[in-house]
Amino acid sequence: MKPFALTLTALALLCGLSLGESKPKAAPKDEATEITVPIIGTAKNTSLMKVNVTYQPWNYRIPWQKTPPSARRGLGVLLDNNRILVTAQMVGDATFIELEQADGGRRLPAKVKAVDYEANLALLEPARDPDGFFAGLKPISVDTSVRVNDELQTWQINPTGEVDITTLKVNKVKTAHYVLDSSMFIVYEAVGLIRSETNSFTLPVIKNGKLVGLLLRYDSKNQTTSVLPGPIIEHFLKDVADNNYQGFPSLGVEYQQTLDTQFREYLGMSNQQHGVYISAVTKGGSAESIGVKEGDIVLEMNGQKVNERGDYKDPQFGTLNMSHIVRGKCFVGDELKVKVLREGKEQLLVGKLTRKNPKDFLVWPYLFDRGGNYLVMGGMIFQELSLPYLQSFGDEWETQAPLRLAYVAKHTDDYEKAGRKKLVYLGATLPTKSTQGYERLGGLIITKVNDKDINDLSDLNNAFKDPKDGIHKIEFEDFPKVVYLDALTAERDNLKLIDGVYHIGSLKRIE
Amino acid sequence: MKRTLFLAALASFTLPLFAADEAPVEKPKVLEAQPDPWEGIVRIEASFLIPDYRTPWEAGRPSAGSGTGWLVGKNRFITNAHVVSNSTKLVIRLTNDPEPYDAHIVHIAHDCDLAIIEADNPKPFEKLKPLELGGIPKLNTELIAVGYPVGGERMSVTRGVVSRIDFQSYSHSGIDQHLAIQVDAAINPGNSGGPVLQENKVVGIAFQGYSGSVAQNVGYMIPVPVIERFLDDIKDGHYDHYMDLAISHFAIENPAQLKALGLEDNGIGVYVSNVQSAGAAGGVLQVGDVILGIDGHPVYHNGLIKVDDQMIDMNEAVERKFVGDKLSMDIWRDAKKQTVEITLKRFLPYLTMGEQYNQKPRYVLYAGLLFQPMSRNLMEAHGIRDPLVNYVFDNYLNREIYKERPEVVVLTAVLPDEVNSYLQSYQHSIVDEVNGVKIKTLKDVDDALKKNDGDGKFIIIKLLEKNRPLVLKRELAEKAHPQIMQTYDVPAASYLGDE
Repeated sequence: MKPFALTLTALALLCGLSLGESKPKAAPKDEATEITVPIIGTAKNTSLMKVNVTYQPWNYRIPWQKTPPSARRGLGVLLDNNRILVTAQMVGDATFIELEQADGGRRLPAKVKAVDYEANLALLEPARDPDGFFAGLKPISVDTSVRVNDELQTWQINPTGEVDITTLKVNKVKTAHYVLDSSMFIVYEAVGLIRSETNSFTLPVIKNGKLVGLLLRYDSKNQTTSVLPGPIIEHFLKDVADNNYQGFPSLGVEYQQTLDTQFREYLGMSNQQHGVYISAVTKGGSAESIGVKEGDIVLEMNGQKVNERGDYKDPQFGTLNMSHIVRGKCFVGDELKVKVLREGKEQLLVGKLTRKNPKDFLVWPYLFDRGGNYLVMGGMIFQELSLPYLQSFGDEWETQAPLRLAYVAKHTDDYEKAGRKKLVYLGATLPTKSTQGYERLGGLIITKVNDKDINDLSDLNNAFKDPKDGIHKIEFEDFPKVVYLDALTAERDNLKLIDGVYHIGSLKRIE
Repeated sequence: MKRTLFLAALASFTLPLFAADEAPVEKPKVLEAQPDPWEGIVRIEASFLIPDYRTPWEAGRPSAGSGTGWLVGKNRFITNAHVVSNSTKLVIRLTNDPEPYDAHIVHIAHDCDLAIIEADNPKPFEKLKPLELGGIPKLNTELIAVGYPVGGERMSVTRGVVSRIDFQSYSHSGIDQHLAIQVDAAINPGNSGGPVLQENKVVGIAFQGYSGSVAQNVGYMIPVPVIERFLDDIKDGHYDHYMDLAISHFAIENPAQLKALGLEDNGIGVYVSNVQSAGAAGGVLQVGDVILGIDGHPVYHNGLIKVDDQMIDMNEAVERKFVGDKLSMDIWRDAKKQTVEITLKRFLPYLTMGEQYNQKPRYVLYAGLLFQPMSRNLMEAHGIRDPLVNYVFDNYLNREIYKERPEVVVLTAVLPDEVNSYLQSYQHSIVDEVNGVKIKTLKDVDDALKKNDGDGKFIIIKLLEKNRPLVLKRELAEKAHPQIMQTYDVPAASYLGDE
């Protein structure tokens, strides 16, 4: 299960994009089988422009460093009020964004107005007075009426600045990951050929001249595309409109299917009762706040019957995962009604939908447009655990990253109960005078420093202000349990780290 | 950096399974009357059954291999444990005698890779002279390795010097470390168990090396102190194994450590960073202690002691001792010096981490669900990738998981049948509870499956962190169970070990 890696590889076919630290391997090019794609038509460009982004991700293991800058080139769709829609993937860790007229080549610097990395959508706006840049273009509106079997078009800009049009046919609608493993949304899965042009990242998908989606990924082998659909774009735009962006609500449960007849009988489910078994409830999620418990059987959600696979019948799209009831149709603050079977009795649980902010997770689920929090003391590099850090060990990070850290990333309950806000660990140790003998230490979770509990990096920052008899005492969960640093020597080493060979610009980032 | 066992390599590429059948028939020769100092060095041929942990009810896979042994006493041949482990038949062959002599294991010590075997009929060996043991040879002195390695049928001699004397991992168990001597004499598959001689005295037993792709001319031998300890241990007719302090230490190299701990700056003392509660030092030492001395030897900051002018791991002080022996330790606790006494015993939980031999795999099979206790053999055989099972295996010792689960029972496989059709995806999970009983050993599973929890209608198996219980309707499971055993050719529903 590597949907993220798949995304990257698929996109690499289109435009050579790379995101994050794991560079996708270039797809082997097989000239003999390259097919010339039938372009069903060419038209004058009315609403598209090129978007050129320079981006520079942070290095998660050497947290004060950034990786070398790279470029992404894609297409933007002009919406009303000179707003330009692109995928969030386009603008992640961007250092410079430029709009380029498809035919004329005129350029205009732009900035991000709103971005949602979970929904993979971003809105750009001009960074200065557009000065007629958009003249001759007309905004396009969003349409959410697509159904299975509809014919759609993808638009691409060809080298002469005109739009090449190819067709796609919607095959099914399902839920899938966009860029992050943690969030599921609906996608249109469509069949059709797409030719690889330059600037073809974030291709708009059109029906009757209206925007119905953005191309998410393309599998050239099977000629299937996943389209980030209109309803999610509309949701995003509505949320942005009030200038108080809340994001997509989430239910916060894990469930199991109830197809197993022996299991159903054990749960006391009748043949008429459908629904799924709740196997875990996320701390701080919507389900927890309205009282859903582990072991409940979810029968209905917001009036929709849930079947034993966790699907419901959507009037527009057909069978869909129940997550769309919350994700696609509701906003944060809307009412959530869940009918559960508990100890043989049906109960209706009612409450408000919420969204768990990425900042509220014990382990940072993602980091975009910022580096990880860190603090350097004497050469010891302390960090707050983040998924990007673990993922920097590659696809096999669950076995390649420091094992204890990989384990706790998936077992946060005990730490959360103990009041930890973030998980502070020693990432690595630079050899200095004060860290003599500790050079090999790394991947260790911190419990206390100078006898104070460490619940996040600010705690650590404060604890280091209070050495005893000029000595810092640092306690780890594991071997070697305790080490000591001479406070004065460590301060001297800190100064050397800033000016010396390591060029650490700042000894800490606590945001 | 993996050391390959010579024997294993030999069995895989030089000795076909039934090599004996193809051996050229030679005319019997009259044994020479003149005494040969090396006539006590023999070839040992072994036939094995290697258990397959994926089908624990089967006898195992037949295989064969050979090594070297030598006479250490009256009809007593010493060799490596790995030469004779899992053997079903042993044959001793002499250099100048075509007759094969059946033999059997008398003692086997997997923790130091040594074994004693005996010929069923002692008569042919009555006149042979045992080899004599020497001492620890000096660095850069010459020695020869004698044995029956690949490359021919007859005895081979190679020559080299002592390259290094150090603590090494013994790869037979994979978890034990003892003194070993590195030599640059060519030591090849089949040399295993053979003597390494200096001035006609045995100074070591060739046992392992690095494969050619990693390093050249690196062979290891088991030195005399380890051989002597083994021979001492079995004097009472029983092997009692090595003892272990079961602690981890951390070097004191940093001036801040000295200052914080209030230690004198004299190079003495090593920090105790972990103490296994089930080990000999459990309840005596604690994290934060500093070990200053062990049986009168000062312990230096890096955890070494000085023995015979050599700096060597402080565990050497434990190595020569036996079960029940006492050890005195000077420690620094709360800025005060004190002396503690430790009564030595084995640290048993660590065996889970090592290769196991001469054991029939234990299991319980019920309604197609196969339960087995976690062990290194099991992890390798089933190729378990599940992150949780691997995490528990890796942390079994350092997080003392053995306290809660002396045996970690794993649902290793589900033999497909209609009754367990929805449970297929749950293999490679850790079993936490069966019918309300917390599972601490494999036997608990066997007992709990028979227990009627609640109304007894269902068998409920809770897996660690697998988000739903596995539920079998007892009536259906009972009916399917014998059928599944028949279909998959399983002769017995369980093997819980010899009672």
